[in-house]
Formats: sequence, structure tokens, C-alpha cells
Amino acid sequence: MKYSYSWLKELSDTKLSPEKVRELLTMHSLEIEGMEEKKWNFDGVVVGNILEIKKHPNADKLQIAVVETRLIASLHTEKLQIVCGAPNIEVGQKVPVALVGSKLPNGIEIKEAEIRGEKSFGMLCALDELGLGIDHSGIFILDSKAKIGAPAKKYLGVEDDTIFEIKVLPDRAHDAMSHVGVAREISVLENRKFEYDFDGLKLPRVKTQNFASLRVRIEDKELCSRYIGAVMENVEIKDSPSWMKQRLEASGIRPINNVVDATNYVMLELGQPMHAFDFDKIKSEFPISNFQFPNKSQNQKSKVQIVVRKAKKNEEMELLDETKLKLSENDLLITNGETPLALAGIMGGKDSGINENTKTIILEAANFNAVNIRRSRTRLGVKTESSDRFEKDIDPNLAEKAIVRIVEILEHTAGAKLEGVVDVYPNKIKSWKIKLDLNYVNNLLGENVPQKETIKILNNLGISTTIRLHIVVCEIPTYRLDIRTQEDLIEEIGRIWGYEKIEPRPLTEPVIPAKINEILSFERKLGEIAVGMGYDEMYNYSFYSEIDAKNCALDGVHPMDYVASQQPPKAVVHGVKHFELSSPMNPDQKYVRVSFVPNILKNIKTNLKNFESLNIFEIGKVYLCHPELVSGSGFRIESGMTTEKRMLVMSQVLEKDKDAETFYSLKGAVESLLEKIGVDENGGSTSIMEVEPPFPATWHLTRSAEILIDGEKIGMIGEINPIVLGKYKIGKRVAVCELDTQKLLKISQKEIVYKTLQKFPTITRDISMLAKSETKAIEIQKLIKKIGGNLVLNVEMFDVFFKDGVTSFAYHIEFGASERTLENVEVDEVMGKIVVGLEKELGLEIRK
Amino acid sequence: MLKEKIENLKKQFLAEIEKISAQGGSASGGRPSDEALFELEKKYTGRKSEFIGILKSLKDLSPEEKKQIGELANNTKNQIWEIIKNKRQEISENSFDAEKEKIDVTIPGKKKSAGHFNPISLVRRDIEDIFVSMGYEIADGPEVETGWYNFDALNIPKDHPARDMQDTFFLDAKDGEEKLSMRSQTSAVQARYMEKNKPPLRIIVPGKCYRREATDTTHDHTFYQFEALIAGENVNVGNLKFTAQEFFSAFFKQDVTVRLRPSYFPFVEPGFEFDISCTVCGGKGCRACKGGGWLEIGGAGMVNQNVFVSAGYPRNKYQGFAWGFGLERLAMMKYKIDDVRLFHSGDLRFIKQF
Repeated sequence: MKYSYSWLKELSDTKLSPEKVRELLTMHSLEIEGMEEKKWNFDGVVVGNILEIKKHPNADKLQIAVVETRLIASLHTEKLQIVCGAPNIEVGQKVPVALVGSKLPNGIEIKEAEIRGEKSFGMLCALDELGLGIDHSGIFILDSKAKIGAPAKKYLGVEDDTIFEIKVLPDRAHDAMSHVGVAREISVLENRKFEYDFDGLKLPRVKTQNFASLRVRIEDKELCSRYIGAVMENVEIKDSPSWMKQRLEASGIRPINNVVDATNYVMLELGQPMHAFDFDKIKSEFPISNFQFPNKSQNQKSKVQIVVRKAKKNEEMELLDETKLKLSENDLLITNGETPLALAGIMGGKDSGINENTKTIILEAANFNAVNIRRSRTRLGVKTESSDRFEKDIDPNLAEKAIVRIVEILEHTAGAKLEGVVDVYPNKIKSWKIKLDLNYVNNLLGENVPQKETIKILNNLGISTTIRLHIVVCEIPTYRLDIRTQEDLIEEIGRIWGYEKIEPRPLTEPVIPAKINEILSFERKLGEIAVGMGYDEMYNYSFYSEIDAKNCALDGVHPMDYVASQQPPKAVVHGVKHFELSSPMNPDQKYVRVSFVPNILKNIKTNLKNFESLNIFEIGKVYLCHPELVSGSGFRIESGMTTEKRMLVMSQVLEKDKDAETFYSLKGAVESLLEKIGVDENGGSTSIMEVEPPFPATWHLTRSAEILIDGEKIGMIGEINPIVLGKYKIGKRVAVCELDTQKLLKISQKEIVYKTLQKFPTITRDISMLAKSETKAIEIQKLIKKIGGNLVLNVEMFDVFFKDGVTSFAYHIEFGASERTLENVEVDEVMGKIVVGLEKELGLEIRK
Repeated sequence: MLKEKIENLKKQFLAEIEKISAQGGSASGGRPSDEALFELEKKYTGRKSEFIGILKSLKDLSPEEKKQIGELANNTKNQIWEIIKNKRQEISENSFDAEKEKIDVTIPGKKKSAGHFNPISLVRRDIEDIFVSMGYEIADGPEVETGWYNFDALNIPKDHPARDMQDTFFLDAKDGEEKLSMRSQTSAVQARYMEKNKPPLRIIVPGKCYRREATDTTHDHTFYQFEALIAGENVNVGNLKFTAQEFFSAFFKQDVTVRLRPSYFPFVEPGFEFDISCTVCGGKGCRACKGGGWLEIGGAGMVNQNVFVSAGYPRNKYQGFAWGFGLERLAMMKYKIDDVRLFHSGDLRFIKQF
């Protein structure tokens, strides 16, 4: 909200500069987000005296005025001829004259001109031209005592000001969304009592007559806890005085007329939203038989009833700003018993508003249920200064103060006369008491605040205190709805006394060795391994679009679970769905990810512009909608809706792919990673096997595999389906692997156990063979190990190539024994068996 | 007799080695060829050499002679070996022609490609290390959260204006289903952790958070926070100041002072806006701190008793402090990054700098 420094200064009696006030409020009260000087610049606008008015010879609507004034820096007055369109000028009036060369706040530059053949040396100014309002009906007439030739600024009633933009958070919205609230803060921070006569704003201060032309009835006392209606008559609708308009504008509110302005002014001053209705437009079409008319019959006028009720379903109304609404039963209306006059607490209706012909008004100061206002304005999409305040809850006692204040103002600015006030306030809110333990104050702040200071601070805030030993009984004024607990009071004491006075102190609580978060430190280790192998870390959003989900074939089920679930086909149909954001930033981020693939592909697309090859990884979560498919990993939200799965995802793109090098190079990285975390050392046996159907279409049908450890699926590795890549316009092969880190953690080796070094020399033999394409490398390897038994220490493939449907494999086989040196004959014998085995069992042709 | 024979052999050997050395010619610097040296070695110490013959014949001598001659024979043999060894060393040392092996050492090396962490990870690791060293546990929790943990347990009741303070990403829900959301702060982990643990406790919670905010150079709808939560019987504002000061000093490797300004977050009371002295100018005022000498870091405060109650603790038994600071902000300060969107850009030109 915007606050006027000069207004705050008047209310608080502060002597401090705007900068000092800003600093004080920032450090102790409220965050000031901006500060802006508002300087009125009327350079070149001077007081002129109209000497003569002539008709313009060539234009009916124009006149020629001869004005006596003084040019800038000139000692003598001069006579200027100025062509003018306004009808309201008379000889002998003092008027603001914009001299040639001046520039007005509305941007107009004054030049010597010829208007329909008559020369004009300047301009007589209306209010709007001076940026002081919207009135263009006539030239602004200055005080007759204004000094001819003097700068007009001092007679325009304007004052330079500084505007604060203050961020008022919900806790202080009850009181600080008003100039009085902030002025009270300033007084307290200067260690003074607030002098503004806030308590004195009581109904008896305005005279109420015996009064019968208004009746108020609240149907729903939950939604409207108080309604004050005041009727004022003899209202003269006109511009507000300029001081008021300036203050409204300083707070960002456009001046309209004296009545509407007064409602806004009081809202800005006290924080109570108000509304004014045109009495005569509210036709109460119902018999008011029991109304008594105390006044003489010539004063007789229509009688009005105001009924606060809930809207009917689909009831319609048109707001002041001409928005047409269709209401629901939860919206609250101000009605005349029949038709809606206003959407309660949010905005007035079009048909009951004030206009230039208004003579009698009903002023409203009410209190509406915060939650309901909030829901209504959200549902209807109408947000106003009024709803902003009501939805944060304000003190019902403020309504009375506001009505007293506005009556006083309108008596002056509209010549209006109060006819009477009706106040319906069934459950009066009274102040409440909090017992504050002074020991707790010191214990929570960690510093001893002198008792005297504490009491002074509380009293300055308007809190009355009674002390019994170390207990202070505090009586909280109703405008501080936020102060409900001891901690709330401690905050008041701490901030006003000054947090800067609190010394940093080490904790005295015992330090207990922290538990290690296994999964987080494990993931950290995985990151280190990935980086060590040359992979760069991505951080992606957890969202992608519906189209991404379709493109990557993710709209059915997450591929990992798809396969591993071993559910009947219905698992696919009712598979893991995406969570969808109710209101995403944009449609591209509507879905919450169940797979890293779409965003990884986007990463690749982005980076292929600058890089030929990529190694990237990401550690994070996927968010799966239905838990029954996913067992035991990740978090489960208690309501049973979601399972989060932690993953490590690695991806690889090579400059050139030959012999499926992209796949094998990523596979190698995965193998190294598994080795590094000791999966096999832990007794597990890793296998990377072809995917069992049904096959997830994200992946390349013949270049993808499941990663299984001891039969449990921990991830996928493979090339991405070229059709998917095509959708992302990626022209290279992309290999991706997804690993479930929670599962990996379970099977990884917790502690390394040293194994004795091989003491005796080993013997390495090479063997190469030709295989028909069906033979898998893993079968060969397994068979060699099986036949060789303990003597085979290592089987390592060192060459493979494909030719004419035949694959050539070549292996190093390392033989050794832990307790002796092997003899060549022994190795020859085993090699012989291996050769026979490979030939017989796998039908391979051993190359000699 | 054997003695003379041995001495003769030695003389003979010395003469021969002189001879083959000379044969090498002046170009060789007076060194024999490898082959000649090998032949010589074979001739004098090989299996069929005269020398070995002598050693074999020792067995026919008297013990005293055996000892005397044996010693002489062995010594001589060792001397011969030593001379040959030295010659050979001389040959090998001098046969190496460094000139032929000359390389251009200014040609760029063949790089081993190590990968790179995202800077958020780097900052996160630093933070975790500092807090672990101070006895903090690292906790975490789900990112898809229930209304209870993301709001209610944090003293943000339904329809409270404070729910507007963070624009939350809600997830679509069918009628009657609970409306879940992407967590809007790591504080959502507070109640989850406290339900399972009793004070004294001290944890940090680093993690991904989401808010429905328009993105610009300093805002992103996805961001990382690290929450700190300390609860015990005597935890106070002074402790919060101290802990934060220690942490930031360690993190920025310079003395940092902290400043608290009043603010409001429903889950703390009193609540603070938290500033640290500018890490660029030390508080004198510079461009980084817009002349003010302070950098805004985030929100903090003393745990609201309602939060303790939500977690199942008795009211007013414990006191605690909590904060939630942005990792991006710290990373941006540390590495002088000027656009928060880079962290999630996936652009390797950015990542590879770290």
C-alpha cells in the first residue's frame, strides 16, 4: 500500500525526515519496498490578474483575456493576451497562468500560438491541466489575495510529499493498512504515546436526530457482524478540496467527487472500507407501515430499508465498474430488501451509486466475514481496496470510528447534514487479556529487556498493563487483532526495543552426533562418481507438457513399472498417471514428471547446438500417482495418493556412433558405477537383460535393456526410440539409463572388505571364436566361467566384430590359483575343456 | 697354482676388455659393443668358462686351501661381474639419443574429461558439510505434499490470507479427493520430522520447492531452499543470530554479521526478515548491496507454538528457531551469477564452468 509521508507526519507529529522514518519502520515495523518523492512542478505557472475579457472575433466558444502578470525573473508586471475557452472567468479574478516556455504536469508545453488569427501568449489553467484533478470545467480561480506574478504553486494548496510503498503482511493488515496504523507505529518507535484522538471517535460525537428514514436488518450475522448506516442530506456533489485529492492520489486512488473521495479518504486514514449509496435511488418497494415520520410532511421523503443477505443462486447484479456478475448462494449482498445494492465488502452496484445529482446519501461502515469475502472475491474475480482489507479481517469497532470521521468530513466538504445513524452490532467485540511472563520474554529473546522498557513499549502501543510480580496482565485493544499470545507480545517488545540489541549466543542445548541420512549421502556419492566419469549435472523442472508425455509415450504408465509390475494387462490400462497442475505457469508445464526422458531430451536438443557429444546426468525424483504399482521406494503421502521415486539418470550422445558405441559407452559407465558402489562385491549379481514385453515405446525396441540385480529390477538402459527422437528433432542416437537410487542403496556395499592379493603368478590365454548371431556374449562368458571353475580368475572380452551374420568374439582368460603356481599343463587341460564346451554347448567355431 | 691361474685370468680379462673397448672406436667414447661385452662375459663367467672350471675343482682341495682359493675366486668373479656391469651401464646410458625423442611440449595435452556439478549442488554440499560439522542432521521429505504438512501444520489454516503469501502449485484432484500441492517450502518437513523425533533436535532440510511465480532474473517457479530447525528447552533469538553468523562466516569464508528485521511467517513468532553484511564490501555499501551494506537472505523466526502443537509436542514446553533460505541466492552471491534461470537452463556452457 502507498502512504503519504506528510499525512503520516501530521498524524504522528514526527519530526523525522522521510529517510529516517523509512529506516525506523524498516528496522522495527514494516518493510518499505519503495520511496518516491512527489514534487509538484509548476515552474512557469504564475498568478495572473484578469484585466479584460473580449470575445474572440473568429470563434464563438473562445474568449480573449488580457492578464496582468510577471514574467519569470522580471521585476515588472506585464499585460499578456491569452486565448481561452473556459466560460467561468471574470475580470478581477486571480488565475494560474502558464507562461510561454513552461511545461505542465500533464505534459503540455506552452508556446506562443496563434489561435484562429488571435495571438496567445500563454495559457490559463484548469485543474486537470495542473495535474490536480480531473476537473476541466473551468479555469481554477485562485484566492483573491494571491500576489500577482508570484509562483502559483503556493496558492494551489499543493504540498510536496514523499510516498512510501509499504508491504503490509497479513498479521498487520488489521491495523497497518491505514495511515493511522502506521502513524501509531512511528509514535511508538519514537517512544511516545500516539496523540491522534482515536478513542474519541465515538458515535455521540456526531449529533444524531430522532430518525426514521433508514432501517437496517442483517440476515446473516456470521457473515456481517456489524452494519452502520448514516443518512446525510443536503449533499452538494463537487470536487474535493485539493489537500484531500492529493492524499488520495498519493495513495494511488483516483479522486472522483467529494462523497466518494471521503469514503476512500477515511479508508486510507483508518483502514475501514466504506461505501456511499444515493438514498433516492434506493427504492424500497415494500410497505413501511410501522415507520414513524417525526418531521413535518413537507420533509417527507422516501424511506429506505437495507437488508444484508446472502445472494440467491444465479442472482445477477451489475457493479459500479459495469461488470455483470452471476452470484452464488455464498456471496453476501447489501440489498434494499429486494434488489442488490452492493456486493458486500467488495464493490457497490451500478444503480445505487453517487452521481452529480445526488442529494441525500447513505454511508455504510460495516464489518464482513474475512473468509467469506476472500472466497467471494476469488470466485468472482473482483479484487478491490475494500476486499483487500476485509479479507484480512478488521476490527468491527473501527466501523463506528469511520462513520464519525466521515460525517465530520462531509459536513465540511459537501455541506451535508447528518440526518441519523443506525448501528446494528449484535455481538460487540471487547478487548481481551493476555498474561505475559516477563521471564519468558527474556528467555525467548535471549536478552534481558528492562521491565520498565517493556511496560513503556506495551503502553505506547495502546496496551494497558497490570503487573503482578513477573506476570504482566495485558489488555489488548481490539484494533490489534493479531495479538493473541505471549509470543505475539514478545515480538512487539523485541522489535520495538530492537533486535539489534540481542547478542549472538551459542546454543546451550546438548550436541548429539547427527544421524547420517543414508539416501542423501548415497546420492551425493553417486553424483561424485558420475562427475568423475565425465558426466555433467542437469537440474530440470519437475514438469513437462501433455505433448511431451505423448511424444515420449509416457501417458500410460511409467516404463519402469510397466514392465516390472508383473501385473496383468489391466496394470497398463490403470497405470501410473501423471499428476497435473491445476494452474500451470504455461501449458508446457502442466504435467508433473513420471520420467526424466522428456526434459533430458530437451537438454540434449539445447546443447547439441554447441556440443558434438554429451554426457549428462540428473539426480532427482519422479512423482507417480498410483502407489499400488510401486513398491516400497520413496515417500508415500499419508493420504495414499502418491509415491515419489528417487532416480539417477544418465544420458549419452556421441559425436559419431559406430557399432552401437553410444549404448555400450553408457553401459560401460553404468557398469563402472555399479562396481564403484560395490554391488557385485556385496554378493549381488548384476545382469543387463533384454526387456520382457510389453515393451515401453519410449525406448528403442532392439537396443534397450533392463538392469537387474539379483533378479530385482533397478533400472532401464537403452537408446531412446528413434521415433521419439524424431519428435524432438534430435538427429543423433541418444542413450539413457534410469536407476532407482533407493534400490541401489539397498544392494550397494556398505563397507569394503579387503581381499588378499593374488600371490602366485597367473597365466593368461586368448581365445577367439565365431558365433551365429543368436549367441549372446553373456552366455559365452558364463560358460567359460562355469567350465573353468575356480581356476578362471577373469574373463575379459577384448574384441568383437560382426560380419555376414557371424559375430567374432575374442577373450582373454586369466587363470590362477590362490595357493600355488599353476602349471602350463593344467591350464592346457582346462582350455581344452573350454574349447570343447564352447563348441558343443554353444555351437561356436573356435578359431585356432 | 690355482691362485696364479686365477690372477692370470683376471689380467687376461682386463686386457681383453681394454681391447674390445678400444675396438669400439673413438666414436663410441671408448666403450665396447654390446655383443663383444656379451661374448666376454660368457667367456669368463659363463657355464663353460675356465672360471667355473676352477670353482668346480675346488672340491679336491684341502679345507684350508678351499677356503683361501674359494674366497679369491669368488672375489675375482665378482670384480669381473662388477666391471662388466659398469661397462654395460655405461653403454646403455650413452646409447640413448634424447635428440631423436624430442617433442613439442607446448602442444595441448589430451584432456581427461571430468564432469561438472550444477552450482546448486556445490553450494548444497558446502552447506551440508558446515551443518554436519555443527551436529545437524540432514532431513528430507516429499515434494508432492498434503495440505496438512504444507499449510495447516505450519499454522496456515485454510482461507487464511497467509496461504496467498506463497502462490502454490496445486494438483488437480477429483471431487472429494484431497487437494495435494507441490510443496511451497521446505518447512513442510518440519512437522514430518518432529512427529518422529523429540527435542533437542537440530536439522537442516535442503530441497526442491515450487511456487507459482512469474520467472525473471531473480525468480523461478522451481527453486531450492535449505531449512534449518532447532528445538530444545532454551533456544532463543540470540542462538539464531549466533548460528546464522557462524554458518554464513564459514560459507563465505569471511566474517559476516547478521541483522534481523521484523516480518511475518505464520509458522514462526516472532518472525524475521534476515540480512547479512554485504559479502562484497563488508558492509560499507557497494553495488551488490545497493549501497545499503546488507544483503537480504530470507525468512527466519522462532518456531510458533502452534507448529509444535501440530507436531504433537505440548504447548510452551519447547522453544526453537527455524529459517528457510534460498540456495540459488547463495550460489548467485558466491559465483556472481546474474540470472537465476541459468540453474535450470540445462545449458552446458553454464554447467561446465563449475
